[in-house]
Amino acid sequence: MTLAADPRAVFTHVQPAPKLRRQLTNEPIKSVSSGTLLISTITLLALLALWFVATQLGWASPLFLPSPAEVLTQFHAVAIDGYADGTLIQHTLASLGRILVALAIGVVLGVPLGLLMGLNRWIRGTLSVPIGLYWGLPPLAYLPLLIIWLGIGESSKIVLLSLSTFAPICFSAQAGVRSVPAERINAALSLGATRLRLFTNIILPSALPEILTGLRIAVAAGLSCLVAAELIAARSGLGYMIMSAANFLSTDVVFVGLILIAILAFLFAIGMRWLERKLVPWKGKI
Amino acid sequence: MLQIRDASVTFPASDGSAVHALDHVSLDIAPDSIVVAVGASGCGKSTLLNAIAGFLPLTEGSIMLDGEEIDRPGGDRGVVFQKDTLLPWASVVDNVALGLKFAGVAKTARRERARELLDLVGLADFADKPPYELSGGMRQRVGLARALATDPKILLMDEPFGALDSLTRETMQQLLASIWARTGKQILFITHSIEEALTLGTTVVVMSPRPGRIVARFEAGFVREFAETGDIGPILSDPNFIQLREEIRALIHRPAGKGTLQ
Repeated sequence: MTLAADPRAVFTHVQPAPKLRRQLTNEPIKSVSSGTLLISTITLLALLALWFVATQLGWASPLFLPSPAEVLTQFHAVAIDGYADGTLIQHTLASLGRILVALAIGVVLGVPLGLLMGLNRWIRGTLSVPIGLYWGLPPLAYLPLLIIWLGIGESSKIVLLSLSTFAPICFSAQAGVRSVPAERINAALSLGATRLRLFTNIILPSALPEILTGLRIAVAAGLSCLVAAELIAARSGLGYMIMSAANFLSTDVVFVGLILIAILAFLFAIGMRWLERKLVPWKGKI
Repeated sequence: MLQIRDASVTFPASDGSAVHALDHVSLDIAPDSIVVAVGASGCGKSTLLNAIAGFLPLTEGSIMLDGEEIDRPGGDRGVVFQKDTLLPWASVVDNVALGLKFAGVAKTARRERARELLDLVGLADFADKPPYELSGGMRQRVGLARALATDPKILLMDEPFGALDSLTRETMQQLLASIWARTGKQILFITHSIEEALTLGTTVVVMSPRPGRIVARFEAGFVREFAETGDIGPILSDPNFIQLREEIRALIHRPAGKGTLQ
Protein backbone atom coordinates (compact mmCIF):
# COMPACT_ATOMS: atom_id res chain seq x y z
CA MET A 1 0.00 0.00 0.00
CA THR A 2 1.15 3.54 0.61
CA LEU A 3 4.03 2.39 2.73
CA ALA A 4 5.73 0.50 -0.02
CA ALA A 5 5.45 3.30 -2.52
CA ASP A 6 6.13 6.30 -0.33
CA PRO A 7 9.69 5.73 0.79
CA ARG A 8 10.77 5.34 -2.80
CA ALA A 9 8.98 8.52 -3.66
CA VAL A 10 11.05 10.28 -1.00
CA PHE A 11 14.27 8.83 -2.26
CA THR A 12 13.76 9.97 -5.80
CA HIS A 13 12.47 13.41 -4.98
CA VAL A 14 14.18 14.51 -1.81
CA GLN A 15 17.43 12.58 -1.88
CA PRO A 16 19.24 14.80 -4.41
CA ALA A 17 19.23 17.69 -1.96
CA PRO A 18 21.29 16.03 0.80
CA LYS A 19 23.46 14.34 -1.81
CA LEU A 20 24.23 17.64 -3.43
CA ARG A 21 25.00 19.17 -0.07
CA ARG A 22 27.35 16.34 0.74
CA GLN A 23 29.17 16.86 -2.52
CA LEU A 24 29.47 20.55 -1.94
CA THR A 25 30.89 20.16 1.54
CA ASN A 26 33.01 17.09 0.89
CA GLU A 27 34.91 18.05 -2.16
CA PRO A 28 36.64 21.15 -0.86
CA ILE A 29 37.62 19.30 2.33
CA LYS A 30 39.06 16.46 0.33
CA SER A 31 41.07 18.71 -1.94
CA VAL A 32 42.29 20.75 1.03
CA SER A 33 43.57 17.71 2.91
CA SER A 34 45.36 16.13 -0.04
CA GLY A 35 46.69 19.59 -0.89
CA THR A 36 48.27 20.09 2.54
CA LEU A 37 49.93 16.69 2.41
CA LEU A 38 51.73 17.69 -0.77
CA ILE A 39 52.62 21.14 0.58
CA SER A 40 53.88 19.65 3.84
CA THR A 41 56.08 17.15 2.03
CA ILE A 42 57.54 19.89 -0.15
CA THR A 43 58.17 22.06 2.93
CA LEU A 44 59.94 19.19 4.69
CA LEU A 45 62.14 18.54 1.66
CA ALA A 46 62.87 22.26 1.36
CA LEU A 47 63.95 22.42 5.00
CA LEU A 48 66.25 19.44 4.49
CA ALA A 49 67.67 21.06 1.37
CA LEU A 50 68.22 24.31 3.26
CA TRP A 51 70.02 22.40 6.00
CA PHE A 52 72.19 20.72 3.39
CA VAL A 53 73.00 23.97 1.57
CA ALA A 54 73.69 25.83 4.82
CA THR A 55 76.28 23.30 5.91
CA GLN A 56 77.70 22.86 2.40
CA LEU A 57 78.29 26.59 2.01
CA GLY A 58 79.62 26.91 5.56
CA TRP A 59 76.98 29.38 6.77
CA ALA A 60 77.44 28.03 10.27
CA SER A 61 80.27 26.25 12.05
CA PRO A 62 79.83 22.44 12.15
CA LEU A 63 80.00 22.84 15.92
CA PHE A 64 76.63 24.55 15.83
CA LEU A 65 75.11 22.97 12.77
CA PRO A 66 76.46 19.57 11.70
CA SER A 67 75.85 18.51 8.13
CA PRO A 68 73.16 15.92 7.30
CA ALA A 69 75.92 13.52 6.29
CA GLU A 70 77.63 13.86 9.68
CA VAL A 71 74.37 13.32 11.50
CA LEU A 72 73.71 10.25 9.39
CA THR A 73 77.17 8.89 10.15
CA GLN A 74 76.64 9.54 13.87
CA PHE A 75 73.24 7.93 13.64
CA HIS A 76 74.88 4.79 12.36
CA ALA A 77 77.70 4.94 14.93
CA VAL A 78 75.39 5.52 17.88
CA ALA A 79 73.06 2.81 16.69
CA ILE A 80 75.89 0.26 16.55
CA ASP A 81 78.45 1.34 19.15
CA GLY A 82 76.16 3.26 21.45
CA TYR A 83 76.63 6.54 23.26
CA ALA A 84 76.40 7.43 26.94
CA ASP A 85 76.20 3.85 28.25
CA GLY A 86 73.69 2.58 25.70
CA THR A 87 72.93 2.02 22.07
CA LEU A 88 70.37 4.12 20.28
CA ILE A 89 67.83 1.34 20.55
CA GLN A 90 68.39 1.05 24.30
CA HIS A 91 67.96 4.77 24.83
CA THR A 92 64.87 4.85 22.64
CA LEU A 93 63.34 1.87 24.39
CA ALA A 94 64.09 3.37 27.81
CA SER A 95 62.26 6.58 26.84
CA LEU A 96 59.45 4.74 25.08
CA GLY A 97 59.00 2.39 28.05
CA ARG A 98 58.70 5.30 30.47
CA ILE A 99 56.11 7.12 28.43
CA LEU A 100 54.06 3.99 27.72
CA VAL A 101 54.00 3.05 31.42
CA ALA A 102 53.01 6.62 32.29
CA LEU A 103 50.26 6.60 29.65
CA ALA A 104 48.98 3.27 30.94
CA ILE A 105 48.87 4.62 34.50
CA GLY A 106 47.23 7.80 33.27
CA VAL A 107 44.52 5.85 31.47
CA VAL A 108 43.94 3.26 34.20
CA LEU A 109 43.57 5.92 36.90
CA GLY A 110 42.39 8.89 34.87
CA VAL A 111 39.53 7.35 32.91
CA PRO A 112 37.60 5.82 35.84
CA LEU A 113 38.24 8.80 38.13
CA GLY A 114 37.27 11.24 35.38
CA LEU A 115 34.09 9.29 34.67
CA LEU A 116 33.22 9.30 38.37
CA MET A 117 33.89 13.03 38.50
CA GLY A 118 31.56 13.52 35.58
CA LEU A 119 28.82 11.47 37.22
CA ASN A 120 29.02 12.66 40.81
CA ARG A 121 29.04 16.22 42.06
CA TRP A 122 30.80 15.33 45.33
CA ILE A 123 33.62 13.42 43.70
CA ARG A 124 34.01 16.19 41.13
CA GLY A 125 34.09 18.90 43.79
CA THR A 126 36.60 17.01 45.91
CA LEU A 127 39.05 15.77 43.29
CA SER A 128 39.07 18.79 41.02
CA VAL A 129 40.91 20.80 43.71
CA PRO A 130 44.11 18.72 44.07
CA ILE A 131 44.22 17.85 40.38
CA GLY A 132 43.62 21.46 39.35
CA LEU A 133 46.32 22.65 41.75
CA TYR A 134 49.12 20.37 40.55
CA TRP A 135 48.07 20.49 36.86
CA GLY A 136 48.61 24.24 36.95
CA LEU A 137 52.24 23.78 38.00
CA PRO A 138 55.01 23.27 35.45
CA PRO A 139 55.98 19.60 35.99
CA LEU A 140 59.67 20.45 36.12
CA ALA A 141 59.00 22.72 39.09
CA TYR A 142 57.99 19.78 41.27
CA LEU A 143 60.45 17.29 39.78
CA PRO A 144 63.08 18.24 42.42
CA LEU A 145 60.52 17.48 45.12
CA LEU A 146 59.78 14.11 43.55
CA ILE A 147 63.51 13.37 43.43
CA ILE A 148 63.81 14.23 47.15
CA TRP A 149 60.87 11.94 47.93
CA LEU A 150 61.52 9.08 45.53
CA GLY A 151 65.20 9.30 44.66
CA ILE A 152 66.84 9.61 41.27
CA GLY A 153 65.70 6.20 39.99
CA GLU A 154 62.86 5.24 37.66
CA SER A 155 60.05 5.87 40.15
CA SER A 156 60.44 9.66 40.30
CA LYS A 157 60.33 9.87 36.49
CA ILE A 158 57.39 7.50 36.21
CA VAL A 159 55.47 9.46 38.84
CA LEU A 160 56.26 12.77 37.13
CA LEU A 161 55.15 11.46 33.74
CA SER A 162 52.06 9.77 35.18
CA LEU A 163 51.04 13.02 36.85
CA SER A 164 51.38 14.83 33.53
CA THR A 165 49.35 12.22 31.61
CA PHE A 166 46.75 11.63 34.33
CA ALA A 167 45.29 15.14 34.51
CA PRO A 168 44.36 15.66 30.84
CA ILE A 169 42.90 12.14 30.60
CA CYS A 170 40.94 12.59 33.82
CA PHE A 171 39.60 16.02 32.85
CA SER A 172 38.64 14.88 29.37
CA ALA A 173 36.80 11.81 30.69
CA GLN A 174 34.88 14.13 33.02
CA ALA A 175 34.12 16.54 30.20
CA GLY A 176 33.08 13.59 28.03
CA VAL A 177 30.49 12.49 30.57
CA ARG A 178 29.17 16.00 31.00
CA SER A 179 28.90 16.57 27.26
CA VAL A 180 26.50 13.67 26.65
CA PRO A 181 23.39 15.30 25.16
CA ALA A 182 20.47 15.27 27.59
CA GLU A 183 18.15 14.05 24.82
CA ARG A 184 20.34 10.99 24.27
CA ILE A 185 20.07 10.10 27.95
CA ASN A 186 16.31 10.73 27.96
CA ALA A 187 15.92 8.61 24.85
CA ALA A 188 17.76 5.73 26.48
CA LEU A 189 15.71 6.05 29.68
CA SER A 190 12.48 5.99 27.71
CA LEU A 191 13.72 2.82 26.01
CA GLY A 192 13.97 1.24 29.44
CA ALA A 193 17.68 1.62 30.20
CA THR A 194 18.75 0.85 33.76
CA ARG A 195 21.44 3.00 35.39
CA LEU A 196 24.13 0.45 34.58
CA ARG A 197 22.97 0.11 30.97
CA LEU A 198 22.83 3.87 30.67
CA PHE A 199 26.44 4.07 31.76
CA THR A 200 27.87 1.22 29.68
CA ASN A 201 25.76 1.66 26.55
CA ILE A 202 25.30 5.42 26.36
CA ILE A 203 27.58 7.50 28.58
CA LEU A 204 30.83 5.58 28.13
CA PRO A 205 30.77 5.45 24.31
CA SER A 206 29.55 9.06 24.20
CA ALA A 207 32.55 10.12 26.29
CA LEU A 208 35.04 8.13 24.20
CA PRO A 209 35.88 10.87 21.64
CA GLU A 210 36.67 13.29 24.46
CA ILE A 211 38.74 10.67 26.26
CA LEU A 212 40.80 10.12 23.11
CA THR A 213 41.30 13.86 22.77
CA GLY A 214 42.58 13.82 26.36
CA LEU A 215 44.90 10.94 25.48
CA ARG A 216 46.30 12.99 22.62
CA ILE A 217 47.04 15.88 25.00
CA ALA A 218 48.49 13.38 27.50
CA VAL A 219 50.89 12.05 24.85
CA ALA A 220 52.11 15.58 24.10
CA ALA A 221 52.42 16.48 27.79
CA GLY A 222 54.14 13.16 28.52
CA LEU A 223 56.67 13.55 25.72
CA SER A 224 57.71 17.04 26.79
CA CYS A 225 58.00 15.97 30.44
CA LEU A 226 59.85 12.81 29.51
CA VAL A 227 62.68 14.48 27.68
CA ALA A 228 62.91 17.27 30.25
CA ALA A 229 63.06 14.78 33.12
CA GLU A 230 65.74 12.77 31.34
CA LEU A 231 67.75 15.92 30.76
CA ILE A 232 67.78 16.60 34.50
CA ALA A 233 67.97 13.22 36.13
CA ALA A 234 68.45 9.94 34.30
CA ARG A 235 71.02 7.28 33.38
CA SER A 236 69.33 6.29 30.12
CA GLY A 237 66.90 7.60 27.56
CA LEU A 238 67.03 9.96 24.60
CA GLY A 239 67.00 13.07 26.80
CA TYR A 240 69.95 11.71 28.77
CA MET A 241 71.79 10.94 25.54
CA ILE A 242 71.20 14.47 24.26
CA MET A 243 72.40 16.02 27.53
CA SER A 244 75.53 13.84 27.60
CA ALA A 245 76.31 14.73 24.00
CA ALA A 246 75.77 18.41 24.67
CA ASN A 247 78.27 18.26 27.54
CA PHE A 248 80.91 17.21 25.01
CA LEU A 249 79.60 19.59 22.32
CA SER A 250 78.77 16.61 20.10
CA THR A 251 76.12 18.55 18.23
CA ASP A 252 75.71 15.75 15.69
CA VAL A 253 74.63 13.31 18.43
CA VAL A 254 72.27 15.97 19.81
CA PHE A 255 70.72 16.12 16.33
CA VAL A 256 70.39 12.34 16.24
CA GLY A 257 68.52 12.46 19.55
CA LEU A 258 66.28 15.31 18.46
CA ILE A 259 65.40 13.64 15.16
CA LEU A 260 64.52 10.43 16.98
CA ILE A 261 62.27 12.27 19.43
CA ALA A 262 60.57 14.02 16.52
CA ILE A 263 60.02 10.66 14.83
CA LEU A 264 58.66 9.26 18.09
CA ALA A 265 56.24 12.16 18.44
CA PHE A 266 55.18 11.75 14.83
CA LEU A 267 54.54 8.04 15.31
CA PHE A 268 52.48 8.78 18.41
CA ALA A 269 50.41 11.26 16.42
CA ILE A 270 49.81 8.68 13.69
CA GLY A 271 48.96 6.09 16.32
CA MET A 272 46.44 8.41 17.92
CA ARG A 273 44.82 9.15 14.59
CA TRP A 274 44.61 5.43 13.88
CA LEU A 275 43.07 4.83 17.31
CA GLU A 276 40.46 7.53 16.69
CA ARG A 277 39.55 6.11 13.31
CA LYS A 278 39.23 2.64 14.86
CA LEU A 279 37.36 3.56 18.01
CA VAL A 280 35.33 6.66 17.13
CA PRO A 281 34.77 6.72 13.37
CA TRP A 282 31.59 8.66 14.05
CA LYS A 283 33.41 11.56 15.74
CA GLY A 284 32.06 14.90 14.51
CA LYS A 285 29.45 13.17 12.36
CA ILE A 286 26.47 13.63 14.69
CA MET B 1 -5.53 4.64 28.39
CA LEU B 2 -3.54 7.66 29.52
CA GLN B 3 -5.20 9.90 32.10
CA ILE B 4 -3.80 13.30 32.98
CA ARG B 5 -5.47 14.90 35.99
CA ASP B 6 -4.88 18.51 37.06
CA ALA B 7 -1.26 18.30 36.01
CA SER B 8 0.82 21.38 36.84
CA VAL B 9 4.50 22.05 36.35
CA THR B 10 6.05 25.15 37.89
CA PHE B 11 9.61 26.32 37.32
CA PRO B 12 11.44 28.97 39.27
CA ALA B 13 12.30 31.79 36.85
CA SER B 14 15.63 33.60 36.97
CA ASP B 15 14.04 36.60 38.73
CA GLY B 16 12.66 34.35 41.48
CA SER B 17 9.05 34.32 40.31
CA ALA B 18 7.29 31.10 39.35
CA VAL B 19 6.70 30.12 35.73
CA HIS B 20 3.58 28.03 35.26
CA ALA B 21 4.69 25.93 32.31
CA LEU B 22 1.68 23.71 32.76
CA ASP B 23 -1.37 24.81 34.70
CA HIS B 24 -3.94 22.25 35.84
CA VAL B 25 -4.15 20.35 32.60
CA SER B 26 -6.50 17.39 32.38
CA LEU B 27 -6.56 15.19 29.31
CA ASP B 28 -7.36 11.60 28.40
CA ILE B 29 -5.73 9.75 25.57
CA ALA B 30 -7.80 6.74 24.64
CA PRO B 31 -6.44 3.68 22.87
CA ASP B 32 -6.61 3.98 19.10
CA SER B 33 -6.47 7.78 19.18
CA ILE B 34 -3.97 10.39 18.13
CA VAL B 35 -4.09 13.42 20.36
CA VAL B 36 -2.25 16.36 18.90
CA ALA B 37 -1.32 19.28 21.12
CA VAL B 38 -0.83 22.46 19.11
CA GLY B 39 0.14 25.92 20.26
CA ALA B 40 2.69 28.70 20.08
CA SER B 41 6.14 28.31 21.64
CA GLY B 42 6.04 28.28 25.41
CA CYS B 43 2.46 27.06 25.66
CA GLY B 44 3.57 24.03 27.67
CA LYS B 45 3.00 21.40 25.02
CA SER B 46 6.55 20.06 25.28
CA THR B 47 6.37 20.27 29.08
CA LEU B 48 3.26 18.12 28.92
CA LEU B 49 5.03 15.53 26.79
CA ASN B 50 8.13 15.56 28.99
CA ALA B 51 5.97 15.03 32.08
CA ILE B 52 4.23 12.06 30.46
CA ALA B 53 7.58 10.66 29.35
CA GLY B 54 8.73 10.98 32.97
CA PHE B 55 11.59 13.37 32.18
CA LEU B 56 10.03 16.11 34.27
CA PRO B 57 8.28 15.76 37.65
CA LEU B 58 4.82 17.23 38.09
CA THR B 59 4.43 19.94 40.69
CA GLU B 60 0.79 18.98 41.15
CA GLY B 61 -1.67 16.46 39.79
CA SER B 62 -1.12 13.00 38.40
CA ILE B 63 -0.57 11.08 35.17
CA MET B 64 -1.75 7.49 35.00
CA LEU B 65 -1.04 5.01 32.24
CA ASP B 66 -3.39 2.03 32.38
CA GLY B 67 -4.01 2.74 36.04
CA GLU B 68 -0.35 3.05 36.98
CA GLU B 69 1.06 6.37 38.09
CA ILE B 70 3.95 7.73 36.05
CA ASP B 71 6.87 9.14 37.99
CA ARG B 72 9.90 8.24 35.87
CA PRO B 73 10.89 7.38 32.28
CA GLY B 74 10.10 3.86 31.21
CA GLY B 75 9.91 1.51 28.27
CA ASP B 76 6.08 1.53 28.26
CA ARG B 77 6.18 5.01 26.66
CA GLY B 78 8.03 5.32 23.37
CA VAL B 79 9.41 8.79 22.66
CA VAL B 80 10.31 10.28 19.28
CA PHE B 81 12.33 13.46 19.67
CA GLN B 82 12.61 16.44 17.36
CA LYS B 83 16.38 16.22 17.53
CA ASP B 84 17.86 13.01 16.30
CA THR B 85 19.00 10.95 19.29
CA LEU B 86 20.37 7.93 17.46
CA LEU B 87 23.63 6.46 18.69
CA PRO B 88 26.31 7.23 16.08
CA TRP B 89 28.45 4.22 16.99
CA ALA B 90 25.68 1.69 16.39
CA SER B 91 24.30 0.60 13.03
CA VAL B 92 20.75 1.55 12.11
CA VAL B 93 19.44 -1.91 12.98
CA ASP B 94 21.16 -1.88 16.37
CA ASN B 95 19.74 1.56 17.06
CA VAL B 96 16.25 0.25 16.41
CA ALA B 97 16.99 -2.77 18.61
CA LEU B 98 18.28 -0.66 21.52
CA GLY B 99 15.10 -0.87 23.60
CA LEU B 100 14.93 -4.62 23.05
CA LYS B 101 18.54 -4.89 24.16
CA PHE B 102 17.65 -3.06 27.37
CA ALA B 103 14.74 -5.47 27.79
CA GLY B 104 17.14 -8.39 27.60
CA VAL B 105 16.10 -9.76 24.20
CA ALA B 106 18.82 -11.91 22.59
CA LYS B 107 20.84 -10.39 19.75
CA THR B 108 19.47 -12.37 16.81
CA ALA B 109 15.87 -12.05 17.98
CA ARG B 110 16.08 -8.32 18.54
CA ARG B 111 17.80 -7.71 15.20
CA GLU B 112 15.12 -9.71 13.46
CA ARG B 113 12.41 -7.62 15.09
CA ALA B 114 14.34 -4.42 14.30
CA ARG B 115 14.55 -5.41 10.64
CA GLU B 116 10.79 -5.89 10.54
CA LEU B 117 10.32 -2.39 11.87
CA LEU B 118 12.84 -0.95 9.42
CA ASP B 119 10.81 -2.61 6.71
CA LEU B 120 7.70 -0.95 8.13
CA VAL B 121 9.29 2.50 7.88
CA GLY B 122 10.76 1.73 4.45
CA LEU B 123 14.42 1.56 5.45
CA ALA B 124 15.11 -2.17 5.16
CA ASP B 125 18.03 -1.49 2.81
CA PHE B 126 19.74 0.80 5.30
CA ALA B 127 19.85 -1.58 8.28
CA ASP B 128 23.62 -1.93 8.37
CA LYS B 129 24.53 1.69 7.69
CA PRO B 130 25.68 4.02 10.44
CA PRO B 131 23.00 6.63 11.21
CA TYR B 132 25.16 9.57 10.11
CA GLU B 133 25.01 8.35 6.53
CA LEU B 134 21.23 8.85 6.51
CA SER B 135 19.31 12.03 5.71
CA GLY B 136 17.33 13.86 8.38
CA GLY B 137 14.03 12.34 7.31
CA MET B 138 15.47 8.85 7.26
CA ARG B 139 16.88 9.33 10.75
CA GLN B 140 13.47 10.31 12.02
CA ARG B 141 12.09 7.11 10.50
CA VAL B 142 14.74 5.18 12.41
CA GLY B 143 13.74 7.07 15.56
CA LEU B 144 10.13 6.08 14.96
CA ALA B 145 11.06 2.44 14.35
CA ARG B 146 13.17 2.47 17.52
CA ALA B 147 10.27 3.83 19.58
CA LEU B 148 7.93 1.19 18.12
CA ALA B 149 10.32 -1.73 18.56
CA THR B 150 9.53 -2.33 22.23
CA ASP B 151 5.79 -2.13 21.48
CA PRO B 152 5.12 0.67 23.98
CA LYS B 153 1.61 1.40 25.22
CA ILE B 154 1.78 4.95 23.95
CA LEU B 155 3.92 6.85 21.49
CA LEU B 156 5.01 10.36 22.51
CA MET B 157 6.16 12.50 19.59
CA ASP B 158 7.73 15.88 20.29
CA GLU B 159 7.61 17.90 17.06
CA PRO B 160 9.24 14.96 15.31
CA PHE B 161 8.93 16.41 11.82
CA GLY B 162 9.62 20.02 12.78
CA ALA B 163 13.15 20.06 11.43
CA LEU B 164 12.35 18.37 8.11
CA ASP B 165 11.80 19.96 4.74
CA SER B 166 8.17 20.13 3.66
CA LEU B 167 8.29 17.25 1.15
CA THR B 168 9.92 14.86 3.60
CA ARG B 169 7.58 16.08 6.27
CA GLU B 170 4.51 15.18 4.22
CA THR B 171 5.85 11.70 3.57
CA MET B 172 6.55 11.23 7.25
CA GLN B 173 2.99 12.29 8.06
CA GLN B 174 1.68 9.71 5.62
CA LEU B 175 3.93 7.09 7.15
CA LEU B 176 2.76 7.89 10.67
CA ALA B 177 -0.92 7.89 9.65
CA SER B 178 -0.61 4.48 7.99
CA ILE B 179 1.36 3.01 10.88
CA TRP B 180 -1.28 4.30 13.26
CA ALA B 181 -4.06 2.85 11.11
CA ARG B 182 -2.26 -0.48 11.09
CA THR B 183 -1.21 -0.72 14.75
CA GLY B 184 -3.88 1.38 16.48
CA LYS B 185 -1.20 2.73 18.80
CA GLN B 186 -2.27 5.62 21.02
CA ILE B 187 -0.20 8.64 20.20
CA LEU B 188 0.43 12.05 21.71
CA PHE B 189 1.84 14.32 19.05
CA ILE B 190 3.20 17.81 19.67
CA THR B 191 3.41 20.36 16.88
CA HIS B 192 3.21 24.06 16.22
CA SER B 193 1.71 23.49 12.78
CA ILE B 194 -2.07 23.75 12.77
CA GLU B 195 -2.35 21.87 9.49
CA GLU B 196 -0.21 19.04 10.80
CA ALA B 197 -2.34 18.90 13.94
CA LEU B 198 -5.57 18.60 11.96
CA THR B 199 -4.13 16.17 9.44
CA LEU B 200 -2.88 13.76 12.08
CA GLY B 201 -5.09 14.20 15.13
CA THR B 202 -8.24 12.33 16.00
CA THR B 203 -8.32 14.90 18.77
CA VAL B 204 -6.64 18.29 18.60
CA VAL B 205 -6.04 20.20 21.81
CA VAL B 206 -5.09 23.84 21.52
CA MET B 207 -2.78 25.15 24.21
CA SER B 208 -2.00 28.73 25.19
CA PRO B 209 1.04 30.04 27.06
CA ARG B 210 1.57 31.72 30.44
CA PRO B 211 0.14 29.74 32.10
CA GLY B 212 0.27 26.65 29.88
CA ARG B 213 -3.32 25.50 29.50
CA ILE B 214 -5.60 23.63 27.19
CA VAL B 215 -7.94 26.28 25.82
CA ALA B 216 -9.91 24.21 23.34
CA ARG B 217 -10.41 20.71 22.13
CA PHE B 218 -11.57 19.56 18.70
CA GLU B 219 -12.45 16.16 17.34
CA ALA B 220 -11.13 15.63 13.83
CA GLY B 221 -11.31 12.60 11.60
CA PHE B 222 -9.12 13.58 8.69
CA VAL B 223 -6.36 11.20 9.69
CA ARG B 224 -8.51 8.16 8.84
CA GLU B 225 -9.04 9.43 5.31
CA PHE B 226 -5.39 10.39 5.09
CA ALA B 227 -4.24 6.93 6.23
CA GLU B 228 -6.49 5.34 3.62
CA THR B 229 -5.75 7.51 0.60
CA GLY B 230 -2.30 8.78 1.50
CA ASP B 231 -3.26 11.97 -0.28
CA ILE B 232 -3.19 15.19 1.67
CA GLY B 233 -4.49 17.40 -1.16
CA PRO B 234 -8.25 16.79 -0.82
CA ILE B 235 -8.01 17.07 2.96
CA LEU B 236 -6.32 20.46 2.85
CA SER B 237 -9.08 21.83 0.61
CA ASP B 238 -11.93 20.23 2.61
CA PRO B 239 -14.22 23.07 3.85
CA ASN B 240 -14.46 21.45 7.30
CA PHE B 241 -10.70 21.32 7.48
CA ILE B 242 -10.39 24.96 6.49
CA GLN B 243 -13.00 26.04 9.00
CA LEU B 244 -11.34 24.16 11.87
CA ARG B 245 -7.96 25.49 10.81
CA GLU B 246 -9.21 29.08 10.96
CA GLU B 247 -10.86 28.50 14.34
CA ILE B 248 -7.66 27.12 15.81
CA ARG B 249 -5.63 29.89 14.22
CA ALA B 250 -7.87 32.48 15.85
CA LEU B 251 -7.47 30.75 19.23
CA ILE B 252 -3.70 30.61 19.00
CA HIS B 253 -3.30 34.18 17.86
CA ARG B 254 -5.70 35.57 20.44
CA PRO B 255 -3.92 37.99 22.80
CA ALA B 256 -2.84 36.26 26.00
CA GLY B 257 -4.82 36.59 29.21
CA LYS B 258 -8.27 37.02 27.63
CA GLY B 259 -9.82 34.16 29.54
CA THR B 260 -10.06 30.55 28.54
CA LEU B 261 -12.52 28.13 27.04
CA GLN B 262 -12.58 24.68 28.45
